[in-house]
Amino acid sequence: MNEKTIYQNLRDEGFSRRDFMKFCGLVSGMMGVEFTGAAKALGALAGPEPTRVAAEALASKPRLPLIWLELQDCAGCTEAISRSQSPSLVNLVLNKIAVDYQETLMAAAGFQAEQAKRESMKKHHGNYVLVVEGSPSTGEDGVYCTIGGRSNLDLLREAAEGAAAIIATGNCASFGGIPRARPNPTGARGVSEVITDRPIVNIPGCPAIPEVTTGTIAYFLVMGQLPKTDSLRRPLTFYGHTIHDHCLRRPFHEAGKFAESFDGEGARQGECLYKLGCKGPTTYNACSALKWGQGLSFPVQSGHPCLGCSEPNFWDGGGFYQGQSAPLDRPSAAAIGTAAGVGAVLGIAMAGANSLRKRSAGKTAAPPDKGSPE
Amino acid sequence: MEWTDILRFFHGPFFAVSLIIFVGGMTYRLIRIVFLGWPRDRVESRGSKAVGVVRTYLKGLLIFPFIPWVRRTFGKNALTYIAGGLFHLSLFLVIFFGTPHMLVWKSLFGFGWPTLPTPAVDWLAAIGLASLLILLVNRLTHPVLKLITKAPLWLNWSLVFLPFLTGYLMTHHILFRYEVLFSLHMITVDILLIWIPLGRISHFLFYFFSRTIHGAQAGKRAVAP
Amino acid sequence: MKTQSAINTYVKEIGGWVASQLEACTRCGLCADACHFYQATGKPEYAPVWKTELLRRAYEQRFTISGRLRLALGMDKRLTDEDLKRWSTIVYEACTICNKCAMVCPMGIQLGPLIHDVRSGMAAAGVVPADLMSATMKQKDIGSPLSVTDKIWAERMEWISDEWEVKIPVDEKDADTLVVFTSIELMKFPDNIAAITKIMDKAGEKWTTSSKGREAVNFGFFEADEELTKLFLRRVFEAAKELGVKRIMISECGHAYEAFRWTAANIMDVPKGVEITHIIRVMYDFWKAGRIRLKKGVYDDGTVTFHDSCKIQRRGGHIKEPREILKWLAPTAFKEMTPNKEQALCCGGGGGVISIQEADPLRFAVFGMKVDQMKEIGAKSVSMVCSNCRLQFTEGVAHFNSDVKVRGLTEMVSEALE
Repeated sequence: MNEKTIYQNLRDEGFSRRDFMKFCGLVSGMMGVEFTGAAKALGALAGPEPTRVAAEALASKPRLPLIWLELQDCAGCTEAISRSQSPSLVNLVLNKIAVDYQETLMAAAGFQAEQAKRESMKKHHGNYVLVVEGSPSTGEDGVYCTIGGRSNLDLLREAAEGAAAIIATGNCASFGGIPRARPNPTGARGVSEVITDRPIVNIPGCPAIPEVTTGTIAYFLVMGQLPKTDSLRRPLTFYGHTIHDHCLRRPFHEAGKFAESFDGEGARQGECLYKLGCKGPTTYNACSALKWGQGLSFPVQSGHPCLGCSEPNFWDGGGFYQGQSAPLDRPSAAAIGTAAGVGAVLGIAMAGANSLRKRSAGKTAAPPDKGSPE
Repeated sequence: MEWTDILRFFHGPFFAVSLIIFVGGMTYRLIRIVFLGWPRDRVESRGSKAVGVVRTYLKGLLIFPFIPWVRRTFGKNALTYIAGGLFHLSLFLVIFFGTPHMLVWKSLFGFGWPTLPTPAVDWLAAIGLASLLILLVNRLTHPVLKLITKAPLWLNWSLVFLPFLTGYLMTHHILFRYEVLFSLHMITVDILLIWIPLGRISHFLFYFFSRTIHGAQAGKRAVAP
Repeated sequence: MKTQSAINTYVKEIGGWVASQLEACTRCGLCADACHFYQATGKPEYAPVWKTELLRRAYEQRFTISGRLRLALGMDKRLTDEDLKRWSTIVYEACTICNKCAMVCPMGIQLGPLIHDVRSGMAAAGVVPADLMSATMKQKDIGSPLSVTDKIWAERMEWISDEWEVKIPVDEKDADTLVVFTSIELMKFPDNIAAITKIMDKAGEKWTTSSKGREAVNFGFFEADEELTKLFLRRVFEAAKELGVKRIMISECGHAYEAFRWTAANIMDVPKGVEITHIIRVMYDFWKAGRIRLKKGVYDDGTVTFHDSCKIQRRGGHIKEPREILKWLAPTAFKEMTPNKEQALCCGGGGGVISIQEADPLRFAVFGMKVDQMKEIGAKSVSMVCSNCRLQFTEGVAHFNSDVKVRGLTEMVSEALE
């Protein structure tokens, strides 16, 4: 393989060595992971320092082929990434690492594009990263989402077969997302529920935070393996804490100062949004730590309660503006009425039986035994 | 099976089922008693039954149910009065005036109300927990209580204690992750809702029968209830 | 057989009134310390909540699904003869049905009446302390638990008339008030009968006694045997009807007042338009209306206190009448015991307890608490308006070698008549 390494590519594009080291610093910062394993993996040469590890990797590895599949999606995750302001973060990953197929962003279309994709998959069989956006629809053999006449399940399995790793970006690919909301007519599922024999990592969010997606891709590039994840396959670095854990409005929460409405004094003072439906306490994501827009803000900071969009089934989580403590399912008035009615009927029946028992006891009560005292 | 799934289930469909069982069960208990026969009182009253009822509710409910109105009964029963009273105070204030709980009522009734400051509710919950523990020790050591307590009463204590405990741990982020404790809280609350119609925790319903009877009996004889 | 009678009786009595209160109990145990028997002995079995246990079992095991299940699965105990015997001792000898427990219960449960219901099961099963049962039989057969026959009654009344120089009307038509005495007064406190006679005459009341309705005491009520209770009440009601009186006045007796005034109408037909009252109320009304006049301060000779009788004060409401009288008779010497009025401590002799010899140690143990109460205020004398209490106090102060004088209030009033 005479492929140029990433370093070589960068030098060709006019990056100085200094620029490269800065670049590596950014990459390693973005990956934000523990390095002991990496240090061992790359041998003692690189040492524990993150930047050097990234530098070693990027200096010795060629560009990574990447296939980006979109299934039942809104392309929001793509939009989020491509709207990202900082060239160094996103460009570096998507441009310095080869993206051979990206439905939304690529210029090519139609059967030719499909053809190009299949060729790339064949060429890099076993080595490419598959990024999936949008949920597979399992209903009726996947007929609800087809591309070029082929079902999405078919396409997904085909792409997954030769992938070195799969990154499911966005809530849809991770857990089924909005298509999975009740009543889930298309049989939407998370990718990991359809593909069970390849290494998969979930990057949920609606959309996923761009830096988290690209950071995970960078991690795979540098380390050659997927990062450590929680039980829902979310990278621990980014999903190890809840929004609540790092929320800037936490002191208000603890003090019990809650905004009562969006235009009230509490909202103006930046008070806690729990009463307005914030799902922060149970939502694992990097929003309150890493934030959005390169650390500009995140929903709560801007005054909107957290939707819980990195958690499974958040669309059925009781409603965005219903307090998190409120039950997700309420019995209908009819159900309660029926329960009371049934209880009443049974109560009258039991009382009736008891009354009958009383009457017969009254009749059969033997005359008092007034014989000799004990 | 993830804790998020467990939470969804016990905070969602199972909660609705528990509530239905609670309503049906309590209605059954109530109706079963109401229709058991209430003979008319043909004895002529000396005083007013209604006045007796009002007075007894003032003393027994509206002022504070745990004031020992009868002289020289506090000394030997200080623990029961104090811990019992504080427990009930904590229970009512936390359940109705704690912000997260108020939001539950709001979703069920359609309207909410102002709540107590979180640190105050926090203290109340801690007092409630401590009171429950004191009451447990009391029940384990007092000779009369040992005689009259059987298994269902221990279950009563446990099923009331666990929601208190899990709720407290949850809001303080102690021991386990938030969604784990939230799930445990919902599991214990759901079980409690199902158990209430089956045992003596439903005393809160029958209280109104016995109190009214007491007030009427006293009022009839023109005696202070 | 016995247990079946008891259970049938319980089942018969358990309506909404009983059931709702049994359901209300939270097993808090506060009633124990309200019970003077528990206070005096510390025995957990004397806790009122435990006294009602048989009733609770009968209710749960017959009337509730969970109770029936538990019984069927062997998780709950069936009522046995031993249970009846054991509880018979507890409810007849360690309870005076004073109902102090109901005042302390946070739920307001009427434990006294419920314990009375437990007794009725015992009565149906014939498991009643021997002394009590034989006294009841005497009242049934002879007309008085103290074996006072018609002849003895008549002779005794005559003797009292002679001794105290009063005329006691018997079976007189055209009377407004029928006065019913107790055998206890007749035999033990005859001065009371004389005292009442003097007061009624002084007030110019048209009154009489009846040779047929001559016994106020109701041992059927103590036993909680409804048929016998009704029989003993009927004897007086028939007499009242025959004599055409406007009211029946019970002399100094507690449970008689409870039976006549607060129970009779709910278990039988009572004579229409006939008021039922007690001597304390009658003499109070006489005094207030000026029909009798009392010398002020006649008993200001050392601290005087008043013992509230459970059935007349707590269960009867006549709390202010004796106090107003005593404050007139002993303006500076009158002192209240603590607790008092409707919260007063029972003397320990009521509810039939005093008639059961086996219960003597218990009733004296309780009375020790009354002695302490009187010592606390330095009482030199105590008065009451119930002969049963008076008998318990008389025997009690002797037992404890106390020098407190025991006086009936009626006796005090009659001696203070101007």
